[in-house]
Amino acid sequence: MITVTFDEKVKIGLQYALETLHGCSPFGQERIRKLRFYTPAERDELDVELGNVERCARAAGDLKETYDKIMVLLCQIKDIRTSLRRCRDGETPDHVELFEIKGYLQRLEGLRPLFAQADEMVHFEDLTFHDPAPALAILDPEATGSRGFYIPDSATARLKEIRQAKKDVEEHLYHAQTDGEKDDLRLKRTRICAEEESEEMKVRKAMGAALAPLAEDLLADAESVGRLDFMLQKALFAVRYGGVRPTITDTELTLTDMVNPELVDLLSEQHRAFVPVSVALDQGATVITGANMGGKSVAMKTVALNVLLLHAGFLVCAREARMPLFHTVKMLFDDLQSIQSGLSGFGSEIVQFEKALNEVEQGYSLFLLDEFARGTNPDEGAVIVQAVTRYLNDVHAISLLTTHYDKVADCARAHYQIIGLRDVDPQAIRRELSVTGEDGVAVIARHMNYGLYRVEGKSDCPRDALNICRMLSLKPEILDKIEQGY
Amino acid sequence: MTDALLQDLHSVKTMSIVGMCKNAGKTTVLNWFLHHSRRDSVLGLTSIGRDGESTDVVTGTEKPSIYVPAGTLIATARDMLRLCDVTREIVMTTGIPTPIGEVVILRARSDGYVQLAGPSITTQLQTVSRHFFDLGARQSVIDGALGRKSLGARAVAEGVILCTGASYNMSMEKVVADTAHIYRLMNLPKAETIPAAGEGLGEDFKKNGEAMVTGALTDTMVVPLLKSGVLRRGRIVVLDPSKVLLTADTLDKLALRDVRLETAQSARTLCVTVNPVSAYGWRFDKDAFMAAMSEAVDAPVINVKEELA
Repeated sequence: MITVTFDEKVKIGLQYALETLHGCSPFGQERIRKLRFYTPAERDELDVELGNVERCARAAGDLKETYDKIMVLLCQIKDIRTSLRRCRDGETPDHVELFEIKGYLQRLEGLRPLFAQADEMVHFEDLTFHDPAPALAILDPEATGSRGFYIPDSATARLKEIRQAKKDVEEHLYHAQTDGEKDDLRLKRTRICAEEESEEMKVRKAMGAALAPLAEDLLADAESVGRLDFMLQKALFAVRYGGVRPTITDTELTLTDMVNPELVDLLSEQHRAFVPVSVALDQGATVITGANMGGKSVAMKTVALNVLLLHAGFLVCAREARMPLFHTVKMLFDDLQSIQSGLSGFGSEIVQFEKALNEVEQGYSLFLLDEFARGTNPDEGAVIVQAVTRYLNDVHAISLLTTHYDKVADCARAHYQIIGLRDVDPQAIRRELSVTGEDGVAVIARHMNYGLYRVEGKSDCPRDALNICRMLSLKPEILDKIEQGY
Repeated sequence: MTDALLQDLHSVKTMSIVGMCKNAGKTTVLNWFLHHSRRDSVLGLTSIGRDGESTDVVTGTEKPSIYVPAGTLIATARDMLRLCDVTREIVMTTGIPTPIGEVVILRARSDGYVQLAGPSITTQLQTVSRHFFDLGARQSVIDGALGRKSLGARAVAEGVILCTGASYNMSMEKVVADTAHIYRLMNLPKAETIPAAGEGLGEDFKKNGEAMVTGALTDTMVVPLLKSGVLRRGRIVVLDPSKVLLTADTLDKLALRDVRLETAQSARTLCVTVNPVSAYGWRFDKDAFMAAMSEAVDAPVINVKEELA
């Protein structure tokens, strides 16, 4: 089963993605808050959900007005499930509960034609609402259509008598002159009020009992409201960030031009664009290498984000996607380790790794390791990561590692490298720097290509660090010595 | 006189009833007002926090309950509904929480007793008033809190009824003086323009001859500036009267120096009611009390025990 901690959600941008959603009804908000991931065994349900979301998204332009109306209506729905359950269990609902159930039914009544309108185009699969009319007839027997809840005089003959008597006494009381007269009338009124209360209680009890057989359907409608609400939000999310429905595969994972919404928005604020990343992974270990500030982690997090989006029933943020369903998704990010464990950074990393690996070996999983073993000395670290990579090649999982260490890539099934500064002429940057006098690091960041390319065969040692030194005009004497060292 | 007064009370859209102390006669005034409301016009009724118990929880004295005419809209906490004996139509749930349940608006379908426990935050009271008007009320009445706290009620009401009585203190002079002080604060003139808040009372006043004080205005701020002569001919604006924590003496000195005190939010005290009988056993001479109170304020003064009985 997939479980993701809040820190992990924040880290990979899933939390950001969820916060761009505006669940309207309490049921929709609950679904967003308590995000649930489909398991491989629930493939059929996931297919239904993805189909619905995809068709919803496709119709978003034509149905904008309908969606807006539906969302306004959903915003007015209150969570009355407790009251419905109380009715179902034979308890007597009070006035306010009956008012709220009535309001809920009226909202459902308003939702039905809008839903039908959307359904004509979207063809929602496995999503229906019951007709609230029979339940409404119980709570609004005179069919006034009013928003308020009131037990009408006509509810029982006895109630009518009592109310009339109450009215008469109150009229007398209003005109009464002496204190004695008033006291008598007040006493009489108190008795009548008690009778009214007990008669109303009988009516409320009868209403509750009449609602009881309908309660399950109405509770199911609350679920449907939540699903519809979440579905619309997923569709609008897909429209915003360009969602695509993945082809579900057995093992391979291919994401073409995937994006990370959080970074897309962040960069667009700075008038820059996120460079879409493409990657093709399969069972075994894949390693991503590349210069510092090159976006290795970004690529990895974007893979994690899109995999989790799929499992939560979202379209994924890519131009094209082929993805399997995973038993679990495990991430080890260097700064997510618990500091409280009392172990050193490296020690706790190993503990976390061991725990995650156990989980990963339970079924086909996605295992992400960001700069694994960076906390120890480089010589040993390299050996450890090489060994782990070789081991992961044979684990029934897609393992993705980013690393700085030497020769790890040679141990993996596949190797990706950040394009980085590969295609940039250091001379050009130096010229640009001397003319503008801008901050060198910022200029380099602007020229950095965050895209990935697949390295076939053995790779040469990258020269990005040397390039950076050159661009920043490090002393020529030192540069010469570095060159000799390669 | 009461007819003219009633007309005045009906002329404001929102009105709050505030007491100098418990047993000042707030509920008596409210019931009198409700009894004399035109039966065809809808009133909205709520309170600041909990009120309307049939026995005073502090003194144990018997208290009148609030008796509303049919048609009245009432905003009260959900747990209070079972203590209301009007025939009720629930018209709205407001989403405003209180310790005894969400504030619910009901319409009285018959006359009857109600227990009020409304919102305790100014903005929420304003929201409730707005709901009342949306639901067709002509006037919104707020059963206010006690003493200084209720000065803030001005932000929610155009008009105020100030209730005072012997229960406040054994000394009639003190009751009259303190009531007059509160009255004076509540009736500070409304500022035509609001000065920009700057570097502080002294600096702003020196520069512009006027100052805006956004927090509390206290003696420790004002007295030194009076002594040094900075405060002379000008005006000080405060947000609302509850922000003025000056003693009567300092208020007088400001007036003497020609410094006007103004508020950004303004209400009007429609009348002062007095209750010469204390819940604690003593009572004042009703005529002397009436005379002293009438002397001290320039609004109509009425005796709840006689004129409104």
